[in-house]
Amino acid sequence: MNLNTEAEKNNTYDAIVVGTGISGGFAAKQLSEKGLKTLVLERGRDVKHPDYPTATKDPWEFENADKPTQEDLRKQGVQNRTGYTVKQSTKHWFVNDLEHPYTEKEGTRFDWMRGYHVGGRSITWGRQSYRFGDLDFEANAKDGYGVDWPVRYADLAPWYDYVEAYIGVSGQNENYPALPDGKFLPPMELNCPEIELKKSMKDKFGRLLTIGRVAHATGPLPHTPWRGQCQFRNLCSRGCPYGGYFSSVSCTLPAAEKSGNMTLSPNSVVHEIIYDETKSKATGVKVIDGVTGEQTEFYAKIIFLCASTFGSTFIMMNSISNRFPNGFGNDSGELGCNIMDHHLGVGAGGDVEGFEDQYYFGRRANGFYIPRYRNYGKDKRDYVRGFGYQGGGSRQGWSGLVAEMAIGPDLKQMVSTPGKWTIGMGGFGEILPYHENNVKINKDKKDINGLPTLLFDAGFKENELRMRKDMKNDAAEMLEAAGVKNVYSYDNETGVGLGIHEMGTARMGKDPKTSVLNKWNQVHACKNVFVTDGSFMTSAACVNPSLTYMAFTARAADYAVSELKKGNL
Amino acid sequence: MNQLIDRREALRKTALLMGAAVSASAMAGILNGCKAAPDLNYKPVFFTEEQARLVSELAEMILPKTDTPGAKDVGVPNFIDKVLIQCYNKEDQDRFIAGLTAFDEESKMNYGDSFIYTKPEDQVTLIKKTLETAIAEKKENPTAKRPFILMAKELTMLGYFSSETGATKVLQYEPVPGSYKGCIPLSEAGNGKTWAT
Repeated sequence: MNLNTEAEKNNTYDAIVVGTGISGGFAAKQLSEKGLKTLVLERGRDVKHPDYPTATKDPWEFENADKPTQEDLRKQGVQNRTGYTVKQSTKHWFVNDLEHPYTEKEGTRFDWMRGYHVGGRSITWGRQSYRFGDLDFEANAKDGYGVDWPVRYADLAPWYDYVEAYIGVSGQNENYPALPDGKFLPPMELNCPEIELKKSMKDKFGRLLTIGRVAHATGPLPHTPWRGQCQFRNLCSRGCPYGGYFSSVSCTLPAAEKSGNMTLSPNSVVHEIIYDETKSKATGVKVIDGVTGEQTEFYAKIIFLCASTFGSTFIMMNSISNRFPNGFGNDSGELGCNIMDHHLGVGAGGDVEGFEDQYYFGRRANGFYIPRYRNYGKDKRDYVRGFGYQGGGSRQGWSGLVAEMAIGPDLKQMVSTPGKWTIGMGGFGEILPYHENNVKINKDKKDINGLPTLLFDAGFKENELRMRKDMKNDAAEMLEAAGVKNVYSYDNETGVGLGIHEMGTARMGKDPKTSVLNKWNQVHACKNVFVTDGSFMTSAACVNPSLTYMAFTARAADYAVSELKKGNL
Repeated sequence: MNQLIDRREALRKTALLMGAAVSASAMAGILNGCKAAPDLNYKPVFFTEEQARLVSELAEMILPKTDTPGAKDVGVPNFIDKVLIQCYNKEDQDRFIAGLTAFDEESKMNYGDSFIYTKPEDQVTLIKKTLETAIAEKKENPTAKRPFILMAKELTMLGYFSSETGATKVLQYEPVPGSYKGCIPLSEAGNGKTWAT
C-alpha cells in the first residue's frame, strides 16, 4: 500500500469489529472492556440511544394509519415480504431494496430482511431468547445431517448465564428437559385463556407451555444504570427510549463507549479483508465510506466479523488472495453453503368461550412458548428434528367487527366493549443444513456503493415439508383439546429467510476440510479472524438464535484476548 | 326556502368543479328536491366531488355522530381519499371505484336516486343489504379480495379508531401502561372499554 506510515499508525487498532448488531455490539463491549483499543465499523448511519424518531408517537401522528405507501413499497417491496416490517413507524430500520438489491436464482425465493444502521437488527429483533441444549448440539452427529458441532452445552452454559444476566431476560424456569433453564428476570404474566391452555397441554399431552423468554428488563439491571424497565407499550420495533428491551444501541455499545477504548465509525462499508501472506495473518480491512465513496484501510491484530450472516459471508467471498482464491478462509468450499433459517407461517387459531368479564392491562410484547416435544424421548416421526410454537391470546378489537352486520350507533356501542377472546399459535421449525442451499457473489449486479451483490439459491426439502404437517395439525389438536372453538389451521406459502434467522454460511466444525471456523469461532486457516454472527451456526435448532450468537461472541472475545496476551495471534 | 338556496348553491359548486358537466343523476336528485347535496368538508384528490360526497355519507352512516364525534368530524373521508391514492395499487383503486359506482347504481335502482340524496332509512337498508351479500361472499371464499363495502367499512373504522377521538373517546388508550396484568376483572382494566392498541 502507498499509505504513509503516519496514516497507517492512525488507522491501527488492537481489534476491529465489523458490524454493530446483536453480535457486533457484544464483541465491541467485550473487547473494549478487556482493554483493547477497538474500532467498530458500521456500514450504515449512526443511531444513538435514546433518539429513535418514531418511538413516542401516538397512533394518530402517523400518515395513513401507519400503512406503507405505494412509494414505500416501490423502494422496500422485498423488505415488506414479512407484511409487518415496512410501516411509517418502522420503515427507516429497513434497507432501500433499490439501493441494496440481491438476486434469487430463477425458480427460487429468498427473503432477506435487514437494516443498515448502528444497532442493526438488534433494534427490530423479536427479543425471544432461548438456549440451545445438547438436544441441539448433538443433533448433527446423531442423524448425520451437516457436520458435528465442535462444542456441547457445557461449553456454552456459563456464557449463556453471563449474557442473560447482562442483557436481562425475562422468563420462567421450568425444569423441562428439552429446553435448558436460565438466569431470568421475573416472568411476564400469561392471560386468561393462555393459563387454561397451559393446564390442558400439561394434563392431556404432557407438554409444556411457558411464558415467552424475552430480552426485556422486567427488573432492575444495576450494571447498566442508563437502562430503564419495560413499560409494556409494545412499540419495541420503533426503538425503545426507556431501554426496556435489549439492543446494541441501548446496552452493549454504550458499555463499550464507557470503557474509553472504542471508536465507532458509521457509514463505513467493509468490503474486503486484507491478508498478508508473509505473516499468514489478516492485517486489516478495506472500507468504502458509504456517503463520500472514499476508500480507506484500517489495521488491527484481531478482526471480529459480525456483519450478519450474509454480510460477513459477502466480505469473506469478496476477499480473494493467492492463499484464498475461493474466498477468505474457504479451504473447505463450505463458505456460502448450508444456509439455514426457521420455517414458519404454519399453525392454528380459534375462539375462546368464557372469560367475558376478564381482560388485561398493558401491552405485553411477548406471548407464550411451547418448546419442542417431537422426536424427543420416545417420540419418533417421519422427519428429523422438531419445532416449537409461539402464540398468544387476546380479546378482539374493532377489526373483529368489520365483517359483521353492525353499523351506525350500534357499531360504536359494540366496538367499545372488548370483543371475543381468541388464541393462536405459529410454529418455528428447524431447517437442516443442506450444502446446496447456498449464496454466491453476483458480479453482474452492483449495489449503491458499486460493490457486487449476492445471488441466493435455497429452498425447503422433504424434511421441512413433512414437519410442517405436524406443525399445522398439532397446533389445531392442542387447541381443540383445550376446548377452543372454530379452530382453523393454516400453512402459508413462505420462503427461506422469512424467519429472519439466517445462519450457517461459515459454519464451525472439528475438521477444516468440512468447515470454515473452529470451536472458538476462529477461521481455521487464519487464526486472527473470528466470525461470530449467525454464519458460524452448524445447525439451526428450532429456537430463536440471537442469544446463542451473543453467548458464542462473548466466549470468542474472551478466548481472543487471552490468546492475544499469550502472543498466539 | 333555505333548502332551495342550498340546492342551488350545491348545484353551482358542483357545476364549477365539474366544468358544468353535472351528471344527470345529480341533477335529478337536486331537481327532485329529495334533499340537499351534503357538504364536503375537505378537498378530495383521488375521488371526484361526487364520489367524495358518497364516501363521506357512507362513512358517516357507518360511524355517525352520537354523543361522540362521527366519521366526518374526525376526518375519515379525507383519510380514505388519501389512503386510496397513496397506499392502494391501481387494481385495488379500480376495484374500490367500481364497487362504489355499483353501490350507487343499486341506490338509484332501488330508491330512484343517488345514495347521498336518499332517506337515511333507505341508506341504512342499502348498506345492510350490501353488507349481507359481501359477508356471505367472504364466507364462501375467504381468500378472495374484500368486496367494496367491506373495504369501505374497514377504511372507515381504521381511520376513525386510529384518530385521537376514536382511540381515546370511543375506545381507551394508554400510551405508557408501565406494567402488564394478564387476567384481571374487566372492571379493573382501565375504564373497561376496548383497548385502542
